[in-house]
Amino acid sequence: MAESIIKIEGLTKTFGSGATAVTALDNINLDIRQGEIFGIIGLSGAGKSTLVRCMNLLERPTEGKVIVDGMDLTALHEKELRQARQAIGMIFQSFNLLMQRTALDNICFPLELAGVSRKAARERARELLRIVGLEDKEKAYPAQLSGGQQQRVAIARALATNPKVLLCDEATSALDPTTTLSILELLKRLNRDLGVTVVVITHEMKVVEQICHRVVVIDNSRIQEIGTIEEVFRRPKTEAARKLVFPQTEHTVKFSGKGKFLRLAFNGNTTDRPIIAEMVLKCGAPVNIAFADTKVIDGRMVGHMILQMPEEPEIVRKMLSYLDSQNIIYVEER
Amino acid sequence: MNIVEMIPIIVKELWATIYMTLASTLASYILGIPLGLILVVTDSDGIHPNPAVNRVLGGIVNALRSVPFIILTVAVIPVTRFIVGTSIGSTATIVPLVIAATPYIARMVESSVKEVDRGVIEASLSMGASPLQVVLKVLLPEAKPSMIIGAAIATTTILGYSAMAGFVGGGGLGAIAINYGYYRNQTGIMIVMIILLVLIVQIIQEIGNIIARKTDKRIR
Ligand SMILES: Nc1ncnc2c1ncn2[C@@H]1O[C@H](COP(=O)(O)OP(=O)(O)O)[C@@H](O)[C@H]1O
Ligand SMILES: [Mg+2]
Repeated sequence: MAESIIKIEGLTKTFGSGATAVTALDNINLDIRQGEIFGIIGLSGAGKSTLVRCMNLLERPTEGKVIVDGMDLTALHEKELRQARQAIGMIFQSFNLLMQRTALDNICFPLELAGVSRKAARERARELLRIVGLEDKEKAYPAQLSGGQQQRVAIARALATNPKVLLCDEATSALDPTTTLSILELLKRLNRDLGVTVVVITHEMKVVEQICHRVVVIDNSRIQEIGTIEEVFRRPKTEAARKLVFPQTEHTVKFSGKGKFLRLAFNGNTTDRPIIAEMVLKCGAPVNIAFADTKVIDGRMVGHMILQMPEEPEIVRKMLSYLDSQNIIYVEER
Repeated sequence: MNIVEMIPIIVKELWATIYMTLASTLASYILGIPLGLILVVTDSDGIHPNPAVNRVLGGIVNALRSVPFIILTVAVIPVTRFIVGTSIGSTATIVPLVIAATPYIARMVESSVKEVDRGVIEASLSMGASPLQVVLKVLLPEAKPSMIIGAAIATTTILGYSAMAGFVGGGGLGAIAINYGYYRNQTGIMIVMIILLVLIVQIIQEIGNIIARKTDKRIR
């Protein structure tokens, strides 16, 4: 097992005091390993942003320790903490570029803060622009760039000082599905090529599914579930994880018959082949589609569907094994 | 005296007005920018909150801003005499102008700097910026276009104050308006003064707009 790069021990964060106090995080323990892409998923207000902001102490924990690369950040003085932050890159939903600086000068910014000479900084910034595929945009101002391009500049800026960790707070939530995919691919590539540990905060399971190795589900200020993508998404154990994998129940058509209802989730990991039709043909029995809300984005199917299964257990078993073979996530609808 | 005979006086006082306005604006900005920045930085949601400093400075700024300019001019005559040696004339007028304009400019700077996106400040802190680096490398450069527009407004306001000072012994176009246009009842002179003041305001405003537009990179 790889070494730990971020270790969080007994972290609690309370905003305000007295009757109006809000506990955003409640006794969080977490161990993120060097070189992995780690997902933190939860619904809005779950405490994800607060947790990631505690990882570089933009938010100071009320209780607990934050150990990054062997150093307890909560024990550092202001100056040491600023130094430590240069080893932790961060990107945001709204990009947060300096609007009055060019793409190149934005990337130079953290290098200036670190006292790197102007010439060396520009050289490094050009190299990073090349890495994120924007070598022709060095003179462009953020207002002249698309959202996806701005996020690429932000990623380049966050990586300028060679950090060991890249924190991403809803980094793709302001982008369209196609751009989201390309940014996720970039993060994956940077993780592979540079070995940077990536922490991805999101409320969208397709993001986590696309790039994360492990994921933690946060709900109600607490960790509900942690594990590999396989473990958490294919067989969610907690209600919180179920809610994320299978967004809330909609009106479904009720058919007569005793067959069980099965909820299928398509998360962009299947192509738009007619999976249900193939399953029906292969297993030789019909199913009812009680509800469907799927769409195809870039040739990948996204959304979910509720099927009423046949009554015969033998056929149901065959169908489930077919779905397994196709990597379709499903749970029995209660 | 008719208007033609007045031309040399008008030209001289026009320069006096420009001198008073620009010198006061400059001095007020030298004092007002740090003051405005301290107000932003020490605010409860600033990068270095300090409620005591914020409340004291904010209180002084508000107090000075609530005294009408004419009253302030008269009230600070001893200070003016101490600094300039006299309370009459253009240079003497600069003292009350700076005292009146500094708190006003501090508030303008404060409001421009507060427009800087919270997220950008956050991002620079995440990169390890110190409070001073945030001020110098983020707040000031990002707020620059808005501050330039503010400067045009501040300069025209100071121009208006300088004309008012003509009533209480200051020089400039205001003094001509009051001495000839009002006391000697020369309506023509009064109209010429008003036109000149309006023109100067237009020019300053237009220059401000052009510079702001040229420097603002948020515009494609
Ligand atoms: N600065 C703050 N002051 C008070 N409450 C806050 C602050 N930041 C976050 N919270 C509260 O903490 C909870 C978690 O917020 P957040 O971490 O932003 O959630 P998420 O990113 O998962 O949507 C919310 O109830 C939010 O209102
Ligand atoms: Mg959030």
